[in-house]
Amino acid sequence: MAGYVVRRVVSMTLLLFLLTLTVFFLFNMMPADPARLTCGKACSPAIIEANRHHLELDIPPIEQYQRFVGGIFFGRTFSKDTPRPIECEAPCLGYSFLRNTEVLTLIARAAPVTFWLAIGGFLTWMLIGLSLGIVSALTRGRWVDRTIMGIALVGYSLPSFFIGLVLIFFVILDWNLLPFPQWTTPDKDLGRFLQTMILPWITIATLYAAFYMRLTRNQVLEVFGEDYIRTARAKGLPERVVVLKHALRAGLTPIVTAAGLDLAGLLGGAIITENIYSLPGLGSLSIGAVLASDLPVITGITLVTASLIIFANLVVDLLYAVVDPRVRVG
Amino acid sequence: MVGRSLRQIVWARLRRDKVAMTCLVVLIVYYMIGILGPMVGPSFGLDPYAYDRAAISNRGGAPVLDFGGISAAHPLGVEWGTGRDILSQLLWGLRISLVVATTAAFLSTAIGVIVGIIAGYAGGWTDMVIGRLMDLVLAFPFLLIILALSNVLTDRITDLGVPSGNPSRILYLILVISSFGWPYLARIVRGQVISLREREFVEAAVAMGSGRRRILFTEILPNLWAPILVYATLLLPAYIGTEAALSFLGVGVIPPDTTFGAMLANSVNYFHAVPTYLFIPGTILAVLVVSFNLLGDALRDALDPRVTR
Amino acid sequence: MLRTDAWLRRALAIGVTFGLVVAACGGTNPTATPAGPTVGPGESPAESTMPDLHGGTIFMLTQNEEFDDIDPQRAYTGEDLAFFGATIMRALTGYVYSDDPVVANGVTADMATDTGTASPDATEWSFTLRDGLTWEDGSALVCEDIKYGVSRTFANDVITNGPTYAIQYLDIPENPVSEGDDAVYLSAYYGPYNGTGQDLFDQAVSCDGNVITFKLNQSVADFNYTVTLGFSPVPDPAIHPDLVDTVDQYTLRPWSNGPYKIEEYTQGNGGHLLLTRNEFWNQDSDPVRLAYPDQWEVLFGIDAKVIDQRMMASQGDDATAVCYCNIQPENLNTVFADPQTPNPDFAGRVVSDYDPYSRYYWIDVQKVPNVKHRQAMAAALNRDAIRANAGGDFAGALGDGVIKPNLGQDYAETGMWTGLLGQPIPDSGDPDFARQLIEESGEPMPDLIWDYPQNPTRDLEAGIVVESLGRAGINVTANPIPGGSYYGTIFNDEQAHQFGWAGWGPDWPNASTVIPPLFTDKGGWNISRVRGEANQDFIDQVAVAIGELDRSAQAKMWQDLNKLAMERVYVIPTTFGLSQVIVGTRIQPVYQWAPWGSWPYAIMYVTP
Repeated sequence: MAGYVVRRVVSMTLLLFLLTLTVFFLFNMMPADPARLTCGKACSPAIIEANRHHLELDIPPIEQYQRFVGGIFFGRTFSKDTPRPIECEAPCLGYSFLRNTEVLTLIARAAPVTFWLAIGGFLTWMLIGLSLGIVSALTRGRWVDRTIMGIALVGYSLPSFFIGLVLIFFVILDWNLLPFPQWTTPDKDLGRFLQTMILPWITIATLYAAFYMRLTRNQVLEVFGEDYIRTARAKGLPERVVVLKHALRAGLTPIVTAAGLDLAGLLGGAIITENIYSLPGLGSLSIGAVLASDLPVITGITLVTASLIIFANLVVDLLYAVVDPRVRVG
Repeated sequence: MVGRSLRQIVWARLRRDKVAMTCLVVLIVYYMIGILGPMVGPSFGLDPYAYDRAAISNRGGAPVLDFGGISAAHPLGVEWGTGRDILSQLLWGLRISLVVATTAAFLSTAIGVIVGIIAGYAGGWTDMVIGRLMDLVLAFPFLLIILALSNVLTDRITDLGVPSGNPSRILYLILVISSFGWPYLARIVRGQVISLREREFVEAAVAMGSGRRRILFTEILPNLWAPILVYATLLLPAYIGTEAALSFLGVGVIPPDTTFGAMLANSVNYFHAVPTYLFIPGTILAVLVVSFNLLGDALRDALDPRVTR
Repeated sequence: MLRTDAWLRRALAIGVTFGLVVAACGGTNPTATPAGPTVGPGESPAESTMPDLHGGTIFMLTQNEEFDDIDPQRAYTGEDLAFFGATIMRALTGYVYSDDPVVANGVTADMATDTGTASPDATEWSFTLRDGLTWEDGSALVCEDIKYGVSRTFANDVITNGPTYAIQYLDIPENPVSEGDDAVYLSAYYGPYNGTGQDLFDQAVSCDGNVITFKLNQSVADFNYTVTLGFSPVPDPAIHPDLVDTVDQYTLRPWSNGPYKIEEYTQGNGGHLLLTRNEFWNQDSDPVRLAYPDQWEVLFGIDAKVIDQRMMASQGDDATAVCYCNIQPENLNTVFADPQTPNPDFAGRVVSDYDPYSRYYWIDVQKVPNVKHRQAMAAALNRDAIRANAGGDFAGALGDGVIKPNLGQDYAETGMWTGLLGQPIPDSGDPDFARQLIEESGEPMPDLIWDYPQNPTRDLEAGIVVESLGRAGINVTANPIPGGSYYGTIFNDEQAHQFGWAGWGPDWPNASTVIPPLFTDKGGWNISRVRGEANQDFIDQVAVAIGELDRSAQAKMWQDLNKLAMERVYVIPTTFGLSQVIVGTRIQPVYQWAPWGSWPYAIMYVTP
């Protein structure tokens, strides 16, 4: 077991290293000249050159990469030769000269929004997905099952932006049930927070719940076919206990795996949902950065998001190994 | 007694599935419209690029007639601000969506199958490296990457000699979507190959001294087509959605051409005044995607030997 | 005025008068003591008979996630200059608060006791500071603070994006260094942080007690307008050790010398800027600002649709909100009966007015050198469709040049569409005439690419460009560029294509801030790349016009140059834009303030 953990951690570290490398060089070849972008109206080649120096773009890419990675571990200083150098402490993901702010600060500012969006969406879809999935399995083949699976399929199919726009059209514009979304933190104004978040949660849940309904249904059906369930039933245990205690628990492993990865992916920002409901999360931050060609921010977000997923992969794998005795770890 | 081939069994099962057959018909119609619409349309006076100034008022560019300017000349209304015909735009846009999604699905499937077979059959280091590569690709927030790289890579593609503008952009979409889509299938194929590798007929082939390539492509590949087919059918709707999402966010084809996503993005500014801008393209898109998914689902059931009907 | 990238992100700002009003403004006679009409507190809407209007909070709703720049040497967007000028950032001179654009465009004294004194040839200007000027910590604001503020413009390695008139006009030689790190500086004076050339600056700008004197390298008849841009004070570190100049970070927390100060500033969607009263500001020292509300709160990152809904409903706090934005096209028919008349529900709190900006398509004359080709492009373009797409009657009038009628005496019809190019051209374009021009050119028309900053409306506009030029056999491809990097891209000679979208507004009411910036390299906004032998005569004439001290003779020159630029089609003018804006039910006064095309922030109040 210990050997397995060590191997997985080593491979994750390697992956993270590859990730920084890929992300850095992928974005380094973008032509939008960041030096030109910070230069403004009265711009001469000399100013661009100086800005390039200022932004440390005049050194070889390998060295830029070294400084970038160095910054993550030891911090770094930007604009060294100027009257006001910028100290970026470890972990330094870079500095956005466009917004005069450290990338990490920008990410930290946007992260709570995405966090609430992801957590709320996650709970909603797990609740709907698991319960309807079980109901569907229990009524297998009957109209309830078919209806649920039909809804699941449609929900799973629709593009998220279409769901979002339709919800806005009916709930907000046509029926005036909710005000327009306006982000606020739950501690500041809980009512407003819930009013803002309920549609984004539903949008996200519609996409994911459908998948979990199907997954849950399949798992439960599969487990029902196994001997120990038949035994439990034969023992005369109530159906409720059979379903919840035996069937669901055994079938839960792949669901947990998928849920972990999906949640991690979502924590990196839901670009479309955040865009539609103008939530200032990581997704909006990244879209803004793309539109402004703000490379340090794009690089930073990509790195954080991808790390989240890689890390979640590791956690899920380890959990899997612990929970499910069938997994060989030797 | 004549044994029926798997293909015949599957087809017989599908034919009994009314929903699946409906979807199949719907999809065939979509493809026909996508292919024929832009060819036949002009003879019915359809032109997605023609500006109908008379259909647009001077008051903010709103269509003159109600319901987005629906009239005999424009059965689905006209675009806000320009008076271009919505029906024509949908016809021409459908073709682009289908081309992007179909080609990208084909490419991802091809890459996924090849990589999966190699990883599964070779095992060892090759498998390990491919596995990590798949992890890496899967870890990327691909929507963000596609957005961020769209301008630079489109320019690179143009530099390679592809005509600038939409040909380059469409090629970019196809390439970049498929380069993020292959690992899922590769994983499935790899798993299948590993289990097939140990089976008697492969061992027999090896014992007979067949070459590796022959074993891979004549012994193993034919046994994989069921999962591949199902997966490809499910990839298509996903890619149609992806293409729409990208156009919605402003990456994708450029004017004067348009697609579902771009039309929906534009509808955001006006849909309270003209709901048809949202619901017409949205519904057409939804029907397309749902049909693909239903068909894919039915296909999976039909191919699953455990399902009894 | 226009740093158009900022303006672009914010769907434009505001307008001047409705109707093509002639603003009789511009440079004062340099020998006389310039004097504009001034508005004191007593003459404002706040008559003494009215109840006390002080108090309350005015909210500002904006789609932007932050201000581009609040640094006095870097702010360069009309609306920002108007807002910060009214609240925290005073200048030597300012403009008059009046709903009459002719009056409003007149220069008036602010920190100075009058609108400045010029030497006979207008190469030396001096301003006397008022008594009682303070910083937000209570320390006195002195002449050296203004001098220090001006000096920061020269540190153009860190103080970026701002107006550079100080560098252009002050009598300091250009930087002789053309190689190495120091080549970045535009002037032989490297700014206060580096310090090189300090003596040169001290000679050009001198303080004698409370009199500041500027020595210029040329005659500038309207330098008292120039000082509204980038000549505002920043605390001199030698005198105010506590009020630190944080250089490139100063834009996040500048020190105030106006009636308010920055209490809190968090950028990003959901963030806000809160201005509270600066108790050390002295009403007696300020002839311009009435400072009615107790607070200003700018709310960032609100969706444009949401802003409209909230402004139209005007419930709760939104009753005292102003929209730092434009009304969305979808809602125009709800708010207005027609572009001149609001619907009864909105009467008195919406405005539809010409803004200061001319929209045009630049054509790179280096990449399309044949003038007949450029004329063919202009002739083929369907300007009527472009205007309809931009909002029809709500989008304004079709333009005939880069000088807009509301600039006043500098405007004259160019006749671009009524025969200047050889024959009249209908609004929807004339593809046959365009083909004829291409034939006359003697060369095949090159394939073209049209650059534009992407948004959904301009995507449709791109379609119109492609289609209408296509009808004349001109092959055009549209090239959408993300908004934030648009100007960065098109100023790059390699990345810019043959023609593209742009807009421009004057820095002050003189076409000297339109023609030279747009069509000469010195001006800094020469996207058309007007240079080279074929255009040398134009460039020479511009130089003559800049030096002309007789304002009406100068106006005639600008009119002629505007016309010549159109004849050569350096740009294709599209619209003289109109914009529509809205405030809450409890905000007064409601009009477009002409100088920056903004709300009259300094005199706005919450109705009791």
